[in-house]
Amino acid sequence: MTRPEQALAHARAEAARKRAAGGYTKAGAAALDDSIVSGPPSPELLSRWAVVEGDPRLLYSTRRAGGPITALKRLIVRLLRQYLADVESRQTRFNIALLAGMHELEGRIGALERAAEAGAADAGPGRPAGGPRAPARPAATGERPGGGSTDVPA
Amino acid sequence: MTAVHQAVVGAGPYDAVTEQVRAWRRLLAADGFAGTDHASHIDPRLRTGFRPLAELEPDHGDLVVIRYSAWSPALMALLDLPNPVLLVYHNITPAGYLWKHSPALAVQCAVGRIQLPAFARRARLVVADSDFNAAEMRTAGAADVRIVPILFEPERLAARGRPPAGAGPLVLVVGRIVPNKRHDRVLDAFAAYQGACAADARLLLAGEPLDPDYRRLVEGFVGACGARNVTIPGGLTQPELNAAYAEADVLLTLSEHEGFCIPLLEAFHFGVPVVASPKGAMPGIAGDAALWTDDDPAVTAELLDLAVRDPELRAELRRRGRVRLERFGAEATAAAVREAIALALD
Repeated sequence: MTRPEQALAHARAEAARKRAAGGYTKAGAAALDDSIVSGPPSPELLSRWAVVEGDPRLLYSTRRAGGPITALKRLIVRLLRQYLADVESRQTRFNIALLAGMHELEGRIGALERAAEAGAADAGPGRPAGGPRAPARPAATGERPGGGSTDVPA
Repeated sequence: MTAVHQAVVGAGPYDAVTEQVRAWRRLLAADGFAGTDHASHIDPRLRTGFRPLAELEPDHGDLVVIRYSAWSPALMALLDLPNPVLLVYHNITPAGYLWKHSPALAVQCAVGRIQLPAFARRARLVVADSDFNAAEMRTAGAADVRIVPILFEPERLAARGRPPAGAGPLVLVVGRIVPNKRHDRVLDAFAAYQGACAADARLLLAGEPLDPDYRRLVEGFVGACGARNVTIPGGLTQPELNAAYAEADVLLTLSEHEGFCIPLLEAFHFGVPVVASPKGAMPGIAGDAALWTDDDPAVTAELLDLAVRDPELRAELRRRGRVRLERFGAEATAAAVREAIALALD
């Protein structure tokens, strides 16, 4: 009999023995690995998510014999398509503007961090650090470095 | 008499939190407590038992039990009530598992975790159903967390429906078909088991899929890994699930995130050996009564083979499972529920 405590070691040994004999040729795809986001979503992923587009496959009913309900939902969405397209595009516009703002802030933070590191190196061990030298900020006119305006339209 | 109301984000068939609301309600009713049960989203298949969360208007002094497994604005609004609040934490799936497959649910989970400290601060008493969940609540700022396990009712497991069709060793997987349960890894391991140990083995994935699209994705994994005899029936009625347990040779769960995992207790009840990944709350629930595997599908396949073919090992696992189940006896848990209610009302 294999004791429960011995089972894992036994299984590993048996798997290794069979692999050595040409068995267990497939490694296992773990197909979901790529879809699981660990930690904060990457900027690339955020860019993809920023574009809002409803998935028509999600128009369904969980009710028994829900076919007519699914058809009705699809009809309603079809009838509302101009309105929904407008809502989606407004949200997408906001998302993209927000991402652009975030990207700009990340750039400025990166520049500040690099300046702080350079300042610390310049100060040396016996001299007081002068603190970070901030990069030149854009003029407070609503103009962004990339040329876009941060003004909110009235 | 003071009423005790319960609030959840979602109520639906085949849902563990919904079942706990019902189990507590039976206990509360037996103790003479009135009250109603509410949910933000009520699955249309659930005909009775729940009212919309917006209709929850407790009288002065009534206790509000918030069962926290996701976030909704209506749940947040409960924090503004003057009533005493008992927070029951069932855990929240990390949003990273859901961003791609269900953005709406991912948002509920992400915000749910962010807002956890606010719920912890507001609650008069915080309860978690496992040590794992209690640790998360303490991290969220709850100083005193009581453990009240899932109210496990063995009488639910008596009725028998139609058993699964076919012959050959039956590997049973129970739980919602959602990304954190890693059905892709299950299928990899089962295909390895079929290829190296039991060509006639069957796999039954019992559980409600996240949505039809995700179900199609998992069905696609079946073909890709080369597994055969795989059945994905969706949610099973309790008698059908009981019949599946009674027929099963082994319960397999390779979930990466579990706040409790009721199927472990159900498998112990039916004397079915368990092969599981040592993740989330599962080691604390099953202890030494399960065979713990790693991420190698070949190793899991060999553990399945041991659990199916070694009669002495099966007998030992059955014995340990019975011992483990005693920790979650209905009477002891009911007493813990009553104590928590009394403390929250005190």
